Amino acid sequence: MQTAGNMEKVLHKRRPKYTREQIYENIELYLIMLPVLILIFMMCYLPLYGLLIAFQDYTPGMAIFSLTENIRWVGLKHFVNFINGKYFVRLITNTILLSLYNLIFGFWVPIVFALLLNEVRHMKFKKFVQTASYLPYFISAVVVAGMVLSFIDMSGIVNKIIVLFGGTATPLNTSPSAFPVIYTITNVWKSFGWNSILYLSTMSSIDPALYESARLDGANRFKQMWYVTLPSILPTIAIMLIMAVGGILGSNTDLILLLYNTATYPTADVIGTYIYRVGLEGGQFSYTAAVGIFSSVINFALVFGANFISNKLTNYGLF
Amino acid sequence: MTHKNRIREGSRLADVIIYAVLIIICLVTLYPMYYVFILSISDPLEAASMKIYLYPKGLYLNSYKMLFQDNSLWRSYLNTIVYVVSDTVLMLITCCLCAYPLTCKKLIGRKFLTIFLLIPMYFSGGLIPTYLVMTKLGLYNNIWAMIVPSAINVWNIILCHTYFRSIPEDMREAAKIDGARHIQILTQIYLPLAKPILAVIAIYTVVGVWNDWFRPMVYLPNEALQPLQLYLRRVLVQQNVDFSQVSAEAAEAMARQKLSNLQIRYSMIIFTTLPIIFVYPFFQKYFVKGVMLGSLKG
Repeated sequence: MQTAGNMEKVLHKRRPKYTREQIYENIELYLIMLPVLILIFMMCYLPLYGLLIAFQDYTPGMAIFSLTENIRWVGLKHFVNFINGKYFVRLITNTILLSLYNLIFGFWVPIVFALLLNEVRHMKFKKFVQTASYLPYFISAVVVAGMVLSFIDMSGIVNKIIVLFGGTATPLNTSPSAFPVIYTITNVWKSFGWNSILYLSTMSSIDPALYESARLDGANRFKQMWYVTLPSILPTIAIMLIMAVGGILGSNTDLILLLYNTATYPTADVIGTYIYRVGLEGGQFSYTAAVGIFSSVINFALVFGANFISNKLTNYGLF
Repeated sequence: MTHKNRIREGSRLADVIIYAVLIIICLVTLYPMYYVFILSISDPLEAASMKIYLYPKGLYLNSYKMLFQDNSLWRSYLNTIVYVVSDTVLMLITCCLCAYPLTCKKLIGRKFLTIFLLIPMYFSGGLIPTYLVMTKLGLYNNIWAMIVPSAINVWNIILCHTYFRSIPEDMREAAKIDGARHIQILTQIYLPLAKPILAVIAIYTVVGVWNDWFRPMVYLPNEALQPLQLYLRRVLVQQNVDFSQVSAEAAEAMARQKLSNLQIRYSMIIFTTLPIIFVYPFFQKYFVKGVMLGSLKG
């Protein structure tokens, strides 16, 4: 055995590693990919390298890294500034609270919706409800925000209804206490149908024999739902929950940017919007790059934490 | 399916409750859009009193007529179409070009390339470094800022790659023996076979680019280059386009018709969202497929 192995090694050494034909073929293949590889490098890797500015005092026009030019390295100064800054507590609180509301009020809606829809036997009705529930997902965030802002206006439909029930009209779009409610409702409305797709498809692959045996054991409809359907979608629920927890610091910046205004900053300003405002509009590139790194690191920790807990409790995890 | 349903017969009451809840959910999702629609076509006087809830009162389409005369709306519509078409075509090209070579077992350095593709999926530079890179590349305030970055998506490349891998290798070998080059194999054998996955990627790209407003807001300060969503943002969210100030003619028309800004805004919502509303039910199976594929990979 050993001699055979040695022989092979010797032979291998004598032969060039790749034949000429193979090299030509590889050149051909690499030429096909080359434009894409360059694009990925430019669009994904250069920004990663640009993160270096978080540890410098960068001003536009300066080199991000160079051996000849003088670069003002400042270490963790920007991170410390952010943590000691006067907006730190407000930003973290708002970011976590808005995501938490979203999780508490939004996470179970798609599951309940899917469970109910799964019980519908009238196929046309089921299809219609399902299609209708996807609609908000396809409407652009700008249009959704525009609709919401006009509804909560002083003369909008929401205030009309409040007055109809004997309340007094309030300027909801400038009220900080109303913002989390408005944001959460909008977010849940926009995404619940879409988020139910995975649950519904998992349910449709449940073995009908399970229901049959449950019925033979005397389980009614609700019990079948509770003891057959729900356990079958538990892995999906666990994975969606981990992903949702991972996104806690990455709240829906898009929608907030469209819905908030100076009056609602106390409850609406989150890390994402802060980076946009201070970084792009205020030009503090280094500082906001550091804020960005800070929030991604915490996000990573949260995903790992949630995954660990889920693995321990349910035996299901992402990794 | 019918078999399963027959087994699971339950009480009438449960049925009634389930249907009632689902109908309410349906109303909640559809009503806001319907409300916007009926208000946009109602008689201006009725609309001003804001007492329209269930059905339109009167029929006035003049707000739509005014929209059609707004040049910047048409220009931004055209910009959006240009961006959507070019992004989708480029996205499909980059996906195929990158996914095909990775399926060749003979490719040297395949492991390294896979890692090269996976890193951007988990780490990104974030808003500010990306902005600086785009500026340094000269893409700021340039239509290419809308086209180059969104023409590439590592996730889509991986979807495409997974699909390509399911095509038997023998087919490629046979074509090679017949003297075909790799690019010919890709365009003439793989491309026609990969239509289902390309449809999924194309549809996601179309909707993504159509609805994108954040990227153009950051990179395109020039209003002549801005897509529809940014125009909508100026009108609907910032509310700094007052139609009565656009032109004396429009102001006169508005006064004559007693049209409110609100009604015009609502007409605009309907006018710009209608294409998507009519199209998405027909394409939803592709979206559902995309969600499924995504979950399998994740």
